[in-house]
Amino acid sequence: MKETTNPPRLAIWLLTRRLSVEWRDFVVGDLQEEFATRSADSPASGYAWFWWQTIRCLASPPRVRPNSLLHGSSKGDSSMRNLFADLRYTFRVMSRTPSFAVAVVSVLALAISANTAIFSIVNAVVLRPLPFEEPERLVRIFTKTPDGRSFELSPGKFYDWQRDAHSFEGMAMYPCCGPRELALTGTGAARAVTVTPVSTGFFDIVRARPVLGRVFQEEEHTPGNNYVVVLSDRFWRSEFGAKPDVIGRTMKFNDEAYTIVGVMPADASVGSWSATACDVWVPLALTNEQRAARGNHNLDGVARMKRNVDLSQARAEMDAISARLAREFPKSDAGWGVLVIPMQEAIVGNSRTMLLMLLGAVGLVLLIACANVGNLLFTRGLNRRKEIAIRSALGAGRVRVFQQLFTEALALAAAGGALGVLLAYVTLKSASTLLASQVPRAEEISIDARVLLFALAVSIFTGMLAGTLPAVRAGRSELNDALKEGGRGDTTVGVGTRRLLIICEVALSLVLLMGAGVMVQSLLALRQGDAGFDPKNVLTMSVRLVHTRYPTPAQRAAFFDAVVQRIRALPGVEAAGTIDDLPFDAGSSQTLLLEGYAPQRDPAAVQARQITPGYLRAMKIPLLQGRDVVESDSEVMLVSGDAAKLYWGSDDPIGRRAALPFSKTVLRRVVGIVGDVKQRNLIDASTPTVYFYTREPGGRATFVIRTSLPPSTLVQPAVAVIHAIDQEQPVSRIRTMEQAIDGELTSQRFSALLLGIFAGIALLLAAVGIYSVLSYIVRGRSREIGIRTALGARSSDVLGLVVVEGMWPVLVGIVAGTIASLASARVIETLVFGVSASDPLTLAAVAAMLALVAMMASLVPAYRALRLDPVKVLRAE
Amino acid sequence: MWFKRNAPVLGDFEQLVLLGVLRLERQDSAYGAAIRQEIHARSGRDVSINAVYTTLDRLESKGFLKSWIGDPTPQRGGRRRKFYALRPAGIAALRQAYRVFTAMADGFQSRLELK
Repeated sequence: MKETTNPPRLAIWLLTRRLSVEWRDFVVGDLQEEFATRSADSPASGYAWFWWQTIRCLASPPRVRPNSLLHGSSKGDSSMRNLFADLRYTFRVMSRTPSFAVAVVSVLALAISANTAIFSIVNAVVLRPLPFEEPERLVRIFTKTPDGRSFELSPGKFYDWQRDAHSFEGMAMYPCCGPRELALTGTGAARAVTVTPVSTGFFDIVRARPVLGRVFQEEEHTPGNNYVVVLSDRFWRSEFGAKPDVIGRTMKFNDEAYTIVGVMPADASVGSWSATACDVWVPLALTNEQRAARGNHNLDGVARMKRNVDLSQARAEMDAISARLAREFPKSDAGWGVLVIPMQEAIVGNSRTMLLMLLGAVGLVLLIACANVGNLLFTRGLNRRKEIAIRSALGAGRVRVFQQLFTEALALAAAGGALGVLLAYVTLKSASTLLASQVPRAEEISIDARVLLFALAVSIFTGMLAGTLPAVRAGRSELNDALKEGGRGDTTVGVGTRRLLIICEVALSLVLLMGAGVMVQSLLALRQGDAGFDPKNVLTMSVRLVHTRYPTPAQRAAFFDAVVQRIRALPGVEAAGTIDDLPFDAGSSQTLLLEGYAPQRDPAAVQARQITPGYLRAMKIPLLQGRDVVESDSEVMLVSGDAAKLYWGSDDPIGRRAALPFSKTVLRRVVGIVGDVKQRNLIDASTPTVYFYTREPGGRATFVIRTSLPPSTLVQPAVAVIHAIDQEQPVSRIRTMEQAIDGELTSQRFSALLLGIFAGIALLLAAVGIYSVLSYIVRGRSREIGIRTALGARSSDVLGLVVVEGMWPVLVGIVAGTIASLASARVIETLVFGVSASDPLTLAAVAAMLALVAMMASLVPAYRALRLDPVKVLRAE
Repeated sequence: MWFKRNAPVLGDFEQLVLLGVLRLERQDSAYGAAIRQEIHARSGRDVSINAVYTTLDRLESKGFLKSWIGDPTPQRGGRRRKFYALRPAGIAALRQAYRVFTAMADGFQSRLELK
């Protein structure tokens, strides 16, 4: 073993010449290694083998992998490496022109954050299931009034349904219109506790199992045995510090001792459903007489469908039972039906339409942002024509160029998306209190996996939409031209494409502006519309007297009289009185029994309100005829104009007597006719109402105080007056009438505000788009403009030239947008009041506004064109 | 292009090389010469080292293989080795090829089997 262990030097020298650095070591090393083993057996065959391998290698050496930036995938390069190369390159290019990157990313972040925020609201309110066990089986049960509205239940009907319906696992009820307030007494300070009385089986139906103790037993739902209470988790923690030994303890509500029997877990309190959003639950205990009542609709029903029953089956069964009951009890049930509504729908209600509309609107903003970013990328693509041309000259295929530009757009969109999610998170966090009053289930709004997925999809979509067109156009550019021009003004390349983008932006902006305009008008119409009373400078506050302290009507009347007298004496108070339920708070709805008239066959219901003297003046409800009630009256009533027509027709009701069957059936004399008031809400027409005054008031009243000073300054003194009379009396719902109206308009305000913001963003983006395109065109045509000026064109000619250039795509966009907004008017028709969704005046106004903004945006480049010095421009050639 | 990839179809030489890597990677000795010898020993094909490396490189660029470079050894005249190992995609491609082959050959084992 001497020379033979060394392979032929010539062969190795040839190989090192022929092979690239990348492969040299491995190939030669391998051959050498194998040669060593082979030549150990037979040196000759080792040599022969080595030479044979060398010749084959020299003939076709392993290829060197091509540069990934220049070539497409056909050469077999790694896809991932390609992508990373593109991303690295994108990063380099962007860090060279950070202002461009910042502009694009911020436009995208703005649009994506708005989309993400709105989607996360839609997700929480509409898409996510309710936080109950098997929520799709939970339904709410309402009666259907003869005119088709949903209405509360009466106990009589409820028990009939419960007995006869087989579609449900269980059916329960609780008093309507939100939790009751009881005074937590015996602790020294006045404190109101929210209470929901619930009927048998309520907790089973919602699948709420106590963490401590038990739920109510059957016999506790009878009057007298009902002094037991189940605490909510929140109340248990705040009041008892979550001590486990509360079961069996007693606490006093309205001076009556209740025994704590159970504590519910935190997830049993669902904020968006009033029946569970309370501090404590007590048994609903009705007397036998109350259980049989069919006409008194003041309960809400909830039920859980059996597993194998679907909604239509349950509805069909309930309809059949209802029809039978209508035959059985023609007097009370004829014409009335039943509504079975899925829980989700009952809670979310018409917010769904509003939210979907907003999602659509914010989607338009995204499209506009895409058009703008596309525009920016396009301009950049044109400025980079030389770079692209050089790369093409070096062998980069069209596909490869497209891929690289496309990757750039996607990377920008991804950055915008990430920033957008962050922005959406911050926005939602800081707006959480605002949101809580605007949409149901607001407490459930969060950025979860679905929202993130949505944001990702939106980002990719945005990147593709904004990136495709510029990338395609850039990939198509003529190699020769680009290199020949030597980088000077590429005059009119791609102007058509960019005009198209302007048209799209203007059209989309117009749709948004129109929506916002109509929404704002609707809001103003509702706000300033006549509700029948004057809401300015009116303060209201409610009290609910503890029955054991004020057992007799005389004591209650004395309390209210004393409070009203003292409030009237406060400085700045112009008038004060009380009512049981303010407008927009649900209240008693009854039919009148007239003295001396035959009972009507199908009497319409009127709103019945209990007032004290001073209420009319405090609310400035006009007295049309007769007189107001006064302190010396007893058992008198006022009727609204519509109520008078409804019951007495053309007869004069003043001096006649009527009874309200639900309260005591005493006959009350009508002393005056007053103006009609919108009792139910601001949207529906005013409702016929009777106001009665009795010396035997119930325990509930809302003080209504008209002031000459700002109402907020009277809150302290008025509450002090109440507490001076009774230290332990809780005062709740302190607010002005204007706040009450605003509370009625939250969803309208919410959509008007958001649409306004979206439309503003759209307008801004459109203006920026028009400006940038026009600047580009002016730069491209500076030579032509210079020559024109040199040949004697006047300033106005040049100005006209540029402005016309800018305005015609705008006008086309306005026409397209008009058509689009008329087509989409149907979507928001159900959301606006007092104005048509395709209101021509609004349309004209927003079109004019858009044209004006576009004009302003095109004036800047036009002015620049005007100032072009022809000598300089021509010399620059 | 990176966002559009054809379903991987292996040529028969590619299959041989991948199987070679599969056989050798366990002992950390899947490099050109060893793979070449393995193919030669098992299939009888005396292939050139450049063909092996060209194929290894192509398979790596398709994402089927990964590679790393070892230390120089005196046995090789102080030159380094380039080792390869399968990536999951490579396993998947091999599995697919094997599945296709066995599926097509199913039922003919006795006729195809060598005596």
